[in-house]
Amino acid sequence: MREGLIALLPRLRRLARALAGQAADADDLVQIVLERALARAEQWRPEAALDKWVFAIARNAWRDELRARHRSQALFAPEEAGDAVADSASTPSVQKLALAKALAALPPDHREVVALVLVEGLSYSEAADMLDVPVGTVTSRLARARTALQAHLGTEA
Amino acid sequence: MNPIDDDILQAYVDGELDAATAAEINTALAHDTALAERVQRARDLRTQLRSMFDPVLEEPVPEHLSALLRPATSKTPEPVAGKDALGSARRHAARRRWMMGAALAASIVLAALSLWWWRPGDVLTRTQNGQTYAAGTLAHTLDQALASEPDAHAPVAIGLSFRGADGHVCRTFVVRAPPSRAGLACHDDSGWAVAVLGPVTSLESGEWRQAATALTPEIQAAVDARLSGSVFDATQERAARDTGWR
Repeated sequence: MREGLIALLPRLRRLARALAGQAADADDLVQIVLERALARAEQWRPEAALDKWVFAIARNAWRDELRARHRSQALFAPEEAGDAVADSASTPSVQKLALAKALAALPPDHREVVALVLVEGLSYSEAADMLDVPVGTVTSRLARARTALQAHLGTEA
Repeated sequence: MNPIDDDILQAYVDGELDAATAAEINTALAHDTALAERVQRARDLRTQLRSMFDPVLEEPVPEHLSALLRPATSKTPEPVAGKDALGSARRHAARRRWMMGAALAASIVLAALSLWWWRPGDVLTRTQNGQTYAAGTLAHTLDQALASEPDAHAPVAIGLSFRGADGHVCRTFVVRAPPSRAGLACHDDSGWAVAVLGPVTSLESGEWRQAATALTPEIQAAVDARLSGSVFDATQERAARDTGWR
């Protein structure tokens, strides 16, 4: 399983970046996820896809962090988060900055669907399984998230 | 025709529709420019999200993270929990980052250099009238292999297959043999014209499927530029092969 996790690390980091926004926060999240995955290794059944199992841990760990931060009032302002994502992108642009800010401003329910489906490439039903919601809920959250992101992007031609 | 609602449209863009419904949308797109613009906007968003986050795949993984997964140490790390988790994780990380960073960066640069250049004369391609075509194993795989029947040991893996807006069938592929490369090829009368080809970081077997759908931003952009409907499902892929990719 360690080998599988090593192979998954780049994708896990990508998912964490899409969820957490800032690179340092994302890697801290990855560290927590790896520690949880190793601690619960006996819960993983080899017939289950390791990536889905680990991504579900990542999503839950991220929600835990959000709650913890909310309690300690240390939530990042969307502007801050957006700046950090844009800084770490390979080709910073006004549009990327706008997208990063729009992502940071999404409610967590919407952001995780964007991260799982649009960034990580899960199918609607895989995302629905992971989030334990009906497929229709995934669809409607994704549609609303798209509307919000596209509005921020101003991609009206 | 009934108006196509946002849920259907996004399912179309995300490749979640069955073939019949996707075909209906394809037909509608041909004469509905407003609909085509909505599809394009949704695709643009996907492309931008991918180009924002896919570069993370190419970044060196911080040493403190990969170190967690090495079985060498006798002590399993204690799970951290609670609201101090981020703080302690970060302090922990900072101690190690500076030590391992330089060595890791150097090895990544070396690996990247050794993977970098695609040579036109390579045995996987041939040139005809100035166009690069797949040859050898690559051509054979593009002709024969089905993504729905993956062979984990084949030197070339197929990712997405789809019919482009110009009617040609296109397929993404990953050359597993080092130096690993990935690309997009479209079938025409002379064979598989290679539209995009570039280096990728090393792929674990079993990772090819994700890799094929999470290709480099260049390939993603090339796919998005050509895609006019949904990517083939297993049945469509087999049918396309059985008709010689016409």
